[in-house]
Amino acid sequence: MRLKYNLWFGVYEDGKVERSSNLEESFLKAENEESLPFNIPDVGFEVFGGEEEYYTALRKTALAIAEKLVERELRREDKYVIALVKALEEVEESINMLNEKLEDIRVVKDSEIAEEFENKIEGLKNLRKKIEREIEEMMTKIAPNLTEIAGAKVAAKLLERAGSMERLVRFPASKIQVIGAEKSLYKAFARMKKGKKAKIPKHGIIFLHPFIRTLPKSKRGKMARFLAAKIAIAAKIDYFRGELDESLYESLRRRYEELRRK
Amino acid sequence: MKLEKLMRNVYFADRVLVTKSRYGSHYGEKIIDGFREWIPWRSKLAAMILKGHRVDFRGDERVLYLGAASGTTVSHLADIVDEGIIYAVEYSAKPFEKLLELVRERNNIIPLLFDASKPWKYSGIVEKVDFIYQDIAQKNQIEILESNAEFFLKEGGEVLIMVKARSIDSTAEPEEVFNEVLEVLSSRFEVLRHGTLEPYHKDHIFVHAKIF
Ligand SMILES: C[S@@+](CC[C@H](N)C(=O)[O-])C[C@H]1O[C@@H](n2cnc3c(N)ncnc32)[C@H](O)[C@@H]1O
Repeated sequence: MRLKYNLWFGVYEDGKVERSSNLEESFLKAENEESLPFNIPDVGFEVFGGEEEYYTALRKTALAIAEKLVERELRREDKYVIALVKALEEVEESINMLNEKLEDIRVVKDSEIAEEFENKIEGLKNLRKKIEREIEEMMTKIAPNLTEIAGAKVAAKLLERAGSMERLVRFPASKIQVIGAEKSLYKAFARMKKGKKAKIPKHGIIFLHPFIRTLPKSKRGKMARFLAAKIAIAAKIDYFRGELDESLYESLRRRYEELRRK
Repeated sequence: MKLEKLMRNVYFADRVLVTKSRYGSHYGEKIIDGFREWIPWRSKLAAMILKGHRVDFRGDERVLYLGAASGTTVSHLADIVDEGIIYAVEYSAKPFEKLLELVRERNNIIPLLFDASKPWKYSGIVEKVDFIYQDIAQKNQIEILESNAEFFLKEGGEVLIMVKARSIDSTAEPEEVFNEVLEVLSSRFEVLRHGTLEPYHKDHIFVHAKIF
């Protein structure tokens, strides 16, 4: 049996080391099923030409990897967008709530307080606009294809529901189609279980998309299915390649025109 | 300043526990003339020392540290094994970020953002070590210790672990939990010493042991 070990600076086999040309890559592949029958520095000092050189290289590589992983984990831009989407929902709710109260007050008296409410609402609307712009900017950056075909708002909401880009790309189109309609979906299932008739929702968040909203009801299901399939593809391209693919939007637009004319 | 030596690079400086260090403050501890205050409420190892226990370090040990968090204890251990190497394993990115500040200023800490329950993942990085320090507050921490010892601990190597009763079993009496832990450990290790960390850390014990 040939014994082969993955070390952070290369592969050790038959008493020899094949030194890796990319230490960061080999560092992350330094897995072995069992405890090594030798001590790594015994091999490493020779490879790096000394103890000090060995530890300097190890520390430098470990630090570079650690910084990257931390960066990816903590400053993940998808997390930022998710936080913004949640914040936006809260701001919108506040605006609605304040508006209602303002009306309640105004009906009775046009007081100074009413004016202050107006100012507060104005301020919140400005904030809303800023958050929306930031979401759009971030979404275009992290998921250009998804944003192009779904629009920043829908794209960001899908991302928020999925929890991360990583999870979103693992959703099948059928799931993407009903994200945000989970409540009515469960209700429908519950009815069906009892042997009752039930309508399965055809679209969740993606219903906000103009290509669905502007179609006659009878055609929305078809469009939703098509859009969801394209969204699934777009998200994958964004996550794995990151380049913009113009043909996606084109095919979507064509399908929309088709359905509208029929 | 009246100095009383306790262990390698560990002193009482006017009754305050400190480590000899040429570095600055890492977690808000005071700096006193080339010494760093070692706060027992923040570090279980400091608490252990204040309770009168000692661990003999030569200073050039290879140490595997499981559960490094933001490096509070690691920073003092790095003062102690100033001629050694600490492999600092932590799986949570948030505290790890702070640990990296420490790594950048010292040259004897290797940061490893890995899950300590999967030692094979870093088996091609970490060398054979003299010492394993573990403070991970996990239900299966002994299992994790054993698998790491299997991979990395030298013959005759030592371990020092911090055990929080509540994270092993939240309903049992701490006393029971500790006895159970000592029992399980004794199949592979010779327990050298153990004791509580009161009043600094409630319902915690440390166990210092040596592999058979
Ligand atoms: C009590 S804190 C450690 C404090 C640190 N030892 C000190 O004194 O400065 C426990 C740490 O263990 C980490 N931890 C828990 N399970 C772990 C695992 N399986 N692998 C790596 N780290 C783990 C936690 O993320 C946490 O940061």
